[in-house]
Amino acid sequence: MDELRKYAAELLEKGEVAAVIGYQQVSEKRTKPIIAKTAEDCAKLVFNEYCLNNLAVYLTKARVKELRRVNGAVLKLAITAKPCDVHGIVALIQESQLKREDVTIISFNCAGVVKDFGMDFNGETLATKCVPCDTHKPLYSDMVFGEEKETPKVSDEVLAKIEAIEKMSAAERFEYFKAEFDKCIKCYACRAACPLCYCQRCITDKTIPRWVESSAHSRGNFSWNVVRAFHLSGRCIGCGECERACPMDIPLSLLNSKMVIEAKEAYSYVSGRSLETPTLVGSFDVKDSDELFM
Amino acid sequence: MEEKIISKEDLLNLCKDVIGNGHTLITPGKTEYTAVKDSSEIVLDATAKPTKASYKTFVFPKAEPVIYYKRGKNDVQLLDVDVEQKKTVILGAKPCDTNSFNILRHLFNWDYKDEFYNVREKQFIVIGLMCNFSDDFCFCTSVGSSPVSDKGADIFLVPLDENNYTLRVVTEKGGEFIKDYSKYLKAGDEVKTKAVTDTVKHPEIAFDSKQVHEWLGTNFENPKWDGVGDLCLSCAQCAFVCPVCHCFDIVDEDYNYTEGRRMKNWDGCQFGHFTLHASGHNPRDIQGKRYRQRVNHKFKYYVDKFGEILCTGCGRCSRGCAVSIDIKEIVSNCKD
Repeated sequence: MDELRKYAAELLEKGEVAAVIGYQQVSEKRTKPIIAKTAEDCAKLVFNEYCLNNLAVYLTKARVKELRRVNGAVLKLAITAKPCDVHGIVALIQESQLKREDVTIISFNCAGVVKDFGMDFNGETLATKCVPCDTHKPLYSDMVFGEEKETPKVSDEVLAKIEAIEKMSAAERFEYFKAEFDKCIKCYACRAACPLCYCQRCITDKTIPRWVESSAHSRGNFSWNVVRAFHLSGRCIGCGECERACPMDIPLSLLNSKMVIEAKEAYSYVSGRSLETPTLVGSFDVKDSDELFM
Repeated sequence: MEEKIISKEDLLNLCKDVIGNGHTLITPGKTEYTAVKDSSEIVLDATAKPTKASYKTFVFPKAEPVIYYKRGKNDVQLLDVDVEQKKTVILGAKPCDTNSFNILRHLFNWDYKDEFYNVREKQFIVIGLMCNFSDDFCFCTSVGSSPVSDKGADIFLVPLDENNYTLRVVTEKGGEFIKDYSKYLKAGDEVKTKAVTDTVKHPEIAFDSKQVHEWLGTNFENPKWDGVGDLCLSCAQCAFVCPVCHCFDIVDEDYNYTEGRRMKNWDGCQFGHFTLHASGHNPRDIQGKRYRQRVNHKFKYYVDKFGEILCTGCGRCSRGCAVSIDIKEIVSNCKD
């Protein structure tokens, strides 16, 4: 931890970065984001299995981008990112929301995080996104801390559930998702926590004409959740922040994971894995499968 | 106030009767309060964590039609909405939830009497349950309540021992309701009840709400507000899970060219477009101003207007915040 704090403080001191977006401990088994602007702030930085947030979401916020302007110069931003969060940063770079040279990535060898704050870290409490994860070392980084550790092995419940849903009839599937979406209260925590939901004006906030009904009734909730899933198809990096942020416990990762699987099977593409690859929706090859088109 | 004792078994029998009488029975689940169809689904646990969402949606639904309309060639026909008249019993509400109607009632009966709210609230019977849960986010004691407070409940339960509850009739409404079920009640024992409630751990008092109120009155432009909004991601989780946040939006939904309905939907003050004017001007253009509004509305404006703090101290907003923004911490910091 000391290495991380020292490194971050040095970045600030040398004037290389304007701020370090990181995690601070709030209680024994809970952390929260911190935007460190001083060496004093850097002394609070931590990295452990309670660093649940995907901090890449802050890189798209106007007020955070604004922080880069210091005394007439434009500095970089540093961010502490789990290897899976790095996918988010890469996806933002792929989608031209960010330049690689504008961000200093401080990453970690990661063995997984807990499902929720307050839990002990073990196989049973491993976050669902960590179960199928194969990126324990960051694909891109400027600095890596931490020892390599083994991730607890557990069965993939999300995959099992997706397979069970695939076996349902269309009517059953509709009923299943209707019951889940009926819980939605339209707080848009899913959108707020998602690093790839960076639209300055979301389609659901447009009122003339209103494309997505703002009411949290079945139709409005279907519109919103399905539109969001479609808009993230081939873009979602699988960080699971939407599901974690959802106060109504809607299993959003079922939708998003399914979309990730589809994009991978049809186009051998997974979002946020390579800076050299153009985005899935931003590239076309005549050999592309058209099976997914209706 | 009258105290009785009811056995666990008889409490379940009472629930069975409530459902049998055609009333709606609501109990806390893991995520939200839900209606139960069978008394076997009921789990009463004073040590349970508060549900993620409050039960305000049963009196103030997340989305409800307030009028239907039909357009003719030369006129518009308006059709009223009838609110369903059905007795609703909520069983096992935490003290931080029971007080919510006392607070909300003022708002919905101020310049306009909101019949949708009033009709529903009138049909509601709140059976509270003493709370034996507390975590870093609880602060009911800082806003004038406590884990053993029966404020706002019509009937209040205290778990006496493994098999019995004390059943306290708190309001006249509660007394009327329990009349039908008096066969399940035995003589109460106030000494025993007090012995139990005295052992309950109270969350530490985090701030003095009077001092906070005073500070807010002179610190609208305090630079502290700038930092408060830094981490907030501008969703409405905090407002929507809150038992007393009550802002709503009115929107018209057309089914087709001639018919439609007007909806009343929850709205949240942390959304950037909440105060966006048609002109493009936004008086709360940055997150710090929005969070300042949230704190001021709860601990100053509502107090000034209605004499009640717009907060029950349940801690749901903080517990569920994706970036762990803690309202207790922020309000505790509202001092020089």
